[in-house]
Amino acid sequence: MRVLVIDPDAARAALVAQGLEGVQPLEVRHAAVYVEAEVVAFAPDVVVIAAESPDRDTLDSLKESSQGHPVVMFVDRSEPGLAEQAVRAGVAAYVVDGLAPGRVRPILDVAMSRFALTQQLRGDLAKAKADLEARKTVERAKGLLMKERGLDEDGAYRLLRKLAMDRGKPIGAVAADLLAFAGVLRGDGA
Amino acid sequence: MSGFSDLRLGFIPLTDCAPLAVAKVMGFFAEEGLEVALSREASWATVRDKVSLGALDGAHMLAPMALAVTEAGEGEIIAPLALNQNGSAVTVSNALADAMRAADPASLEGPLVTAETLAGVVAARRARGEPPLTFAVVFPASMHNYLLRYWLAQGGVDPDQDVRLVVIPPPRMVEQMRAGAVDGFCVGAPWNAVAEAEGVGRTLITASRFWPSGPDKVLGMAARFADARPDDLKACLQAVMRAAAWADAPENHETLVELLARPEWVGAAPDAIARALTAEIVFHRQGAGLPRVEHGLWLVSQMIRWGQVAPDIDPEALVRRVYRPDLYRAAALSLDPRLESARSLDEAAQPLEARLFDRRPFDPSAPLAYASAFEIRRPQGSPA
Repeated sequence: MRVLVIDPDAARAALVAQGLEGVQPLEVRHAAVYVEAEVVAFAPDVVVIAAESPDRDTLDSLKESSQGHPVVMFVDRSEPGLAEQAVRAGVAAYVVDGLAPGRVRPILDVAMSRFALTQQLRGDLAKAKADLEARKTVERAKGLLMKERGLDEDGAYRLLRKLAMDRGKPIGAVAADLLAFAGVLRGDGA
Repeated sequence: MSGFSDLRLGFIPLTDCAPLAVAKVMGFFAEEGLEVALSREASWATVRDKVSLGALDGAHMLAPMALAVTEAGEGEIIAPLALNQNGSAVTVSNALADAMRAADPASLEGPLVTAETLAGVVAARRARGEPPLTFAVVFPASMHNYLLRYWLAQGGVDPDQDVRLVVIPPPRMVEQMRAGAVDGFCVGAPWNAVAEAEGVGRTLITASRFWPSGPDKVLGMAARFADARPDDLKACLQAVMRAAAWADAPENHETLVELLARPEWVGAAPDAIARALTAEIVFHRQGAGLPRVEHGLWLVSQMIRWGQVAPDIDPEALVRRVYRPDLYRAAALSLDPRLESARSLDEAAQPLEARLFDRRPFDPSAPLAYASAFEIRRPQGSPA
């Protein structure tokens, strides 16, 4: 496991390393501030950062990009309720300070699995949107074929499927091509 | 007193936190009957989380953040007051300024510097196989991000394809430029002035040139606080308005600079703080404090343009939920005649014609059409 601890104080990195004792292989690196080149080179599995670090904004801006990392944040005891509320709302993995080494491992595990889940959901959502878009395109192409070729719905679909197989392309792509060419023939965008 | 504060507000160490700092230190909160705890926060993400979750009642906030949080359903934040106009600017490193000057000696002269010469520098770097230039902003949902993106794109530089855009916290901007990690940035006061004073960079365009009387920070309040304690909210707005008027007055600038320069507030060189205060930032006069719906609609148009929100949202409904000029007006009118300029509110509240530096007209009733008419924008539905 590769863990990056961003904190002006080195003590927290030592505590994290202690809590992860026995994990193999393990590399815990401490950095006072976020330095992009170093983070990219290290490629951490999880980042631990003090909630009062200004570098949070940089990490936050990466959360939807491929450069994002699972992030665990520590807050002071002087911020009553914040950690509990944040975890309940699911916005971020805030952890109250005074962390016992024994709690480090489960907290990092939860952060990493939650991050993986979020990434997967985001991917699923993008795929679902693309699928829906493709289905709409197929419906419109079917309608066009029914009108222009006098086919029934089933016949139109079979023709599209045949075109797709002949060209070795997904049916959505063939439908999109068909609509685009029909547009050209009608003079759209010319 | 029970020992608890009536109101918990956060701020980020920037010159435009002045109305909150002054309201606290000069006793305006106390005069309006409020005990306010002001906490200095280290990042905008923390400000967002704390206000969304109720750990703070409100904060000095990036105007687009209130819109983004509410739109995403992460929280419900209202903007009943604008904290300032102007103060941010685009600054580039000396090396990049030199490269622009070498490409066109007149490019950095004149009152308005555009990114057209920069586009040539970008193309030349690409032809030589050099890595793209790196520009930094303070947060994705910020006027700084939209200002920089608009300015770059207007000159023909695609902010996502032609340069690399990163997020860096304001106090680290200057050191990152000095270290050569960023070639340019858009950040609020005092950091542009600090970069110039330390000989690290050169400011190319200020917010007041980019869009005279354009938006910047707001007082972002948790909607649940505003609903539960309308009288305290009104008292808070009155105190901040009086503080903003105080901060505008030239005779108070020396005191204000001295206050903000202290480490517990902004913690920067007094000269750098003074520069934007005297030449740029407006807190209260000419209706600067009014949270204008037109501003919100323009910000949403840029969120759509850059793929941060889906193009099928209802900009008007979102902005009307967040921007609350009605609350500002009620508080301002009840200050009359204690705060003389409140009287001119009705004049100032006339619908504003948004005139950016490129003269492209913005019709607030058609933000979607405006967003989709730009040549450089993200295709619908694909985030930047």
